[in-house]
Amino acid sequence: MKKKVLALALATAMVFGLVACGSSSAPAASEAPAEEAESVEEATEEVAEAAGENAADVNGDGKVVIGYISKNLTDPFHAPINETAQTTFDALVADGTIDEWTGILDGETDPNKQIDRADDCISKNCDIVIFLPAEAEASDPALTKMADAGIKVIEVNSKSTSCDDVAVAYVGSDDVQAGNMLAQWVVDNCPDGGKYIHCNGILGNSAQIQRTEGMHAIMDEHPEFEMMEDLDTKWDGNLAANAASDAIAKYGDELVAIICDNDGMSSAAQKMCNDSGREDIICIGVDGIEVPLQMIKEGTLKATILQDGVGQINGAIDIVKAMVAGEEFDPAPVIPFVLVTEENVDEYLK
Amino acid sequence: MAEPKVGKISTQDRIRSLMGQYGIGVVLIIMMVVIAIMDPRFLTVSNLMNVTMQITINGLLCYGLCLAITTGGIDLTVGAQLALTSCIIGHLMTNMGLPMVIAVLAGVGVATAFGFINGFLIAKFNMFPFVVTLSMQLVIRGLSQVVTNGRAVMITNKAFAGIYSNKLGPIPFPIILFVIVTILMYLLLHWTKFGRYIFAVGGNVNAAIASGVSRFWVLVGVYTLSGLLAGIASVIYTSKTGSAQSNIGVGYETDAIAAAVLGGTSFAGGIATIPGDVLGIFIIGLIYNGMNMIGVSSYFQSIVKGLIIIGAVMLDMVMNKNNH
Repeated sequence: MKKKVLALALATAMVFGLVACGSSSAPAASEAPAEEAESVEEATEEVAEAAGENAADVNGDGKVVIGYISKNLTDPFHAPINETAQTTFDALVADGTIDEWTGILDGETDPNKQIDRADDCISKNCDIVIFLPAEAEASDPALTKMADAGIKVIEVNSKSTSCDDVAVAYVGSDDVQAGNMLAQWVVDNCPDGGKYIHCNGILGNSAQIQRTEGMHAIMDEHPEFEMMEDLDTKWDGNLAANAASDAIAKYGDELVAIICDNDGMSSAAQKMCNDSGREDIICIGVDGIEVPLQMIKEGTLKATILQDGVGQINGAIDIVKAMVAGEEFDPAPVIPFVLVTEENVDEYLK
Repeated sequence: MAEPKVGKISTQDRIRSLMGQYGIGVVLIIMMVVIAIMDPRFLTVSNLMNVTMQITINGLLCYGLCLAITTGGIDLTVGAQLALTSCIIGHLMTNMGLPMVIAVLAGVGVATAFGFINGFLIAKFNMFPFVVTLSMQLVIRGLSQVVTNGRAVMITNKAFAGIYSNKLGPIPFPIILFVIVTILMYLLLHWTKFGRYIFAVGGNVNAAIASGVSRFWVLVGVYTLSGLLAGIASVIYTSKTGSAQSNIGVGYETDAIAAAVLGGTSFAGGIATIPGDVLGIFIIGLIYNGMNMIGVSSYFQSIVKGLIIIGAVMLDMVMNKNNH
């Protein structure tokens, strides 16, 4: 009997411990909405009165609920995008523009998980969802499911297959343009041409496909350049650095450039070149994450092609605001890529 | 499991034994109550259906891992198997225009064959399952890249998409499939000779061999089944996403192992129950869905998930300790 009581006591203690840790971070998220609930209600009433009815309350439940399905929480490129979404939507909830938002839902760069998150958004009665697809095709059912459920979806950063048909808007940049800019920088800075290698992102990612396409569009018109290797470096800086040291060993002075699908790879490759005494090799990539920007400021990397992720998410948030206000909006704003060199690096390095 | 087999089993003992085996169910119920209190939308039929749909893939993988772990091994290839089956199906259907049935059978068949190879290498050459499946995972993922050239292959076949979205009455097909597999697994593990052999090999391999159990065929059977289950899971995955690609399923073994362990599958081997696994699978699913429902910041979710798993397993051990 004693044993049983002890077992029960221990079990209860464990369960409470479990629940406590399970919800320890929840209060931070859940208290705030509770506090704001009243003011929000008042505010919505005002808005509703002013506009007759709120156009952003798509499902007509009297609340404007915004969903946000991220691509992931781990890429440095996505960190400022998620951060901007977090602060802006928190502020929009606080000032009563919208009633609720889901917080950042983690897509884990996994289409399967993104579809699950889409189901979660449907369960939460979202009206508008901002969605950053991990994959063009495999993530597409997340979009179509939400659209079928009557949710207005705004895709950001990259398109999934039926984006043009069922998403209400797409805010992004043109990766083919980024590829062109990569190649143009190399052409401009190595007038004599030479050998180069190309470090790919994960094969099959739309950014990898389109950047590569854009790069080839320019490079293939310049016969003075010869692509020696087209490597599966999986967006991974470490693999790109290995590729750089291999290429230096193989091609020696004939190697003039390393073109990378992102600048996590180009900065790692440049560092490897610099460490091997080959500062002359031109490494360039796309994104504009912190490390390459820092290297540009130090002068150890010459340039990078910045994808304005914060500009993209702000574009999407502007559309949400326009929908709430019942205003018209551009369903496909293109946020341009920016060539960052030492001249303008301070604008982007925070 | 030291279940009293002789004499009359008192109700008290029976409850104790049940608590020992399925005490983790208490965790599940508490989680459901907490989530439902914090967001009543959790208990809507559509959300519960939604959670059940979300767990089917992990559930199928979990059963395979449960078998492997019960024999004292592990199968780290399941994530890569998802990718390979998916790529084969996509390649055969979209690129070669073969009928869906053939593509699906071929995909699942190849996964099963790789399961067989895993089991053969482990059983025949007495290699460590961790090492064999860790290496085979590279082979299998590499092969899936070869099949599709690393590109995503779109599958537009309506019938194939229906595997995930079709319903029988109100119940979606993947759930029905999951229930059927669960029942079959239950019967296999708890009611057949093969099931008893699995426990025997995992519990005390020498005693098992001495009593005439073929360690070779048990291991081959277990890993082949794990491959088959991963293949079936991949069919659901591929139908869900409508796309075959080689980069899917990375790290999926982690959630499957976590579910099996939560369900009381012992890494020491020889201990597992299918109902326990079901509880573990649901807990993992609820961690994902529930935390989003109650608005736990995604940045904290990974920490919370890890702590819940450790806490639940600890709770289970405490309960078991006091039972024996």
